[in-house]
Amino acid sequence: MEYVVETKNLTKQFGEQKAVSSLNVTIPRGEIYGFLGPNGSGKTTTIRMLLGLMKPTSGTIHVFHKDLKKDRIHILKRIGSLVENPSYYPHLTAYENLEVWRKILGVPKEKIHEVLQIVQLSEVTNKKVKGFSLGMKQRLGIAASLLNDPELLILDEPTNGLDPSGIIEIRNLMKQLASESGMTILISSHLLSEVEQIATRVGIISKGKMLFQDSMDKLRELSKPNIALRISDAKKALRFIVSKGIEADYRDDHIFIPNHSDEDVAELVQQLVYHNFLIYRVEGKKRSLEDIFLQITQEERLV
Amino acid sequence: MNKELLSSELLKIKRKGFWLLTVLGPFGVVALQMMNYAYRKEYLLKQSTNDWEYYILNVSGFTPFALVLGMVILTSFLTSIENETNTWKKLISLPVSKASVYITKFTLLASLLFLSSVLLMLFTLLYGIFLDFNGEILHVTLFQYSFYPYFASLPVLALQLWISTVSKNQAVPITIGVIGVILVLTNSYSPFPDWIIWKWPSLMNQWDKPIINVVLGIIVGCLIYIVGMLDFIRRDVK
Ligand SMILES: Nc1ncnc2c1ncn2[C@@H]1O[C@H](COP(=O)(O)OP(=O)(O)OP(=O)(O)O)[C@@H](O)[C@H]1O
Ligand SMILES: [Mg+2]
Repeated sequence: MEYVVETKNLTKQFGEQKAVSSLNVTIPRGEIYGFLGPNGSGKTTTIRMLLGLMKPTSGTIHVFHKDLKKDRIHILKRIGSLVENPSYYPHLTAYENLEVWRKILGVPKEKIHEVLQIVQLSEVTNKKVKGFSLGMKQRLGIAASLLNDPELLILDEPTNGLDPSGIIEIRNLMKQLASESGMTILISSHLLSEVEQIATRVGIISKGKMLFQDSMDKLRELSKPNIALRISDAKKALRFIVSKGIEADYRDDHIFIPNHSDEDVAELVQQLVYHNFLIYRVEGKKRSLEDIFLQITQEERLV
Repeated sequence: MNKELLSSELLKIKRKGFWLLTVLGPFGVVALQMMNYAYRKEYLLKQSTNDWEYYILNVSGFTPFALVLGMVILTSFLTSIENETNTWKKLISLPVSKASVYITKFTLLASLLFLSSVLLMLFTLLYGIFLDFNGEILHVTLFQYSFYPYFASLPVLALQLWISTVSKNQAVPITIGVIGVILVLTNSYSPFPDWIIWKWPSLMNQWDKPIINVVLGIIVGCLIYIVGMLDFIRRDVK
């Protein structure tokens, strides 16, 4: 597999605290990689290291098969990025802001109008950014990241501050960029739902550790229906079920077991009745991806 | 340093009053003498036999103060442009080396202040001609007192840039800047030991050779510049 981004044991320590811990991020070419994790899990720190803004405490970063430590400038020529809150010069107009970056990137002036058009800011081209709404500033940041026609786009919470229609716009833009120009995109978020519809691959981190990294389809498989049972004396029933060698756990008043064949379920119910448990409900329950995400990040177990 | 980076820096300082300050500084220094000579020209002319020399010395009395104050203000303005919405992270994630970013900032500041020194010479000369002194215009003295303080204060500029770019809290460079300005002011009443860099712009030293301050200014300025740049490169971006 050809990886556009590949980190090995990437670690960043602030004093005693490991903000990022032995992270192996792999992003194949052309994928939209959803980089997920709750607040403070180390997403921004990882992204800062990928862009050479922070030096890793240990571990290596390869982008486009090149060592970031040695080829930083060559690599950055092919990357567009947006880190945390948008960076802009309030006293300059939207055009002038992009012109500041354009000069450094050395791309033709026409690109400025082109990217402003893409993020639908053409009408405020010559307005000072000071008066922009948060969403407009965010879109200006995205426009800036597209100036150099990047092969790899790194966006840290790009939908921050956008309204629902703005979020959908950005989502469609990402999809379009990935499909039309074959861009590889890394997009971080603390909400799975935000990238669920566009990501082809997901990495889930919590407390600096990678808990899950695989295709979106693999994550979806985890959301296959479970069987939920509501039974009298649930604790005893749970012990009973587990003693039968069936995986089970107890949440929200229900005992959950993985999907089994009809016969197996019938057999279990029969056994429970035989042992004088009262069965109130037997339901097939589909877990939402968000539930799975929460579960993964809360339990911190490797899936 | 590259041309594109410098031209993007020039775009950033638009509408921020940099050019105004660059002109206002030297104008202010000469304007003080305009008032001085307007009110008591007769008295001042009696103070010495060489009117041009006396006039240039009068002007130069305020040059170190204006220069160091200008360095503190311009440096603080320039870094505040990047600190305001933390554009450092955007700037450094572009294909530029941190060294070239640092050298461009230094070059811009040094150029603006050099321009101020050129204007100082020009304003001094013009008002001197207007005053219509007896005797020759002292071109060499005029040149020395316009440009020597500039070179002698380069260490202060290098230090201010270093502290401003690496400090998380901008109160630090401003405090050090204000202390520096106060040192420059007090130095004219009771001179400090020669090793204090804030004394150097006054061109005073125990050997009475202003050129020593110029040479020291350039050497120590370069050293502080290099240390500051290496520190800037070494640190993680804010
Ligand atoms: N410069 C720094 N110095 C010290 N600690 C830091 C620094 N930057 C980040 N941290 C710590 O590292 C941890 C990870 O922070 P990071 O910003 O990477 O999280 P995140 O996943 O981006 O969170 P969020 O969703 O809130 O943006 C946090 O505990 C944070 O306090
Ligand atoms: Mg973050």
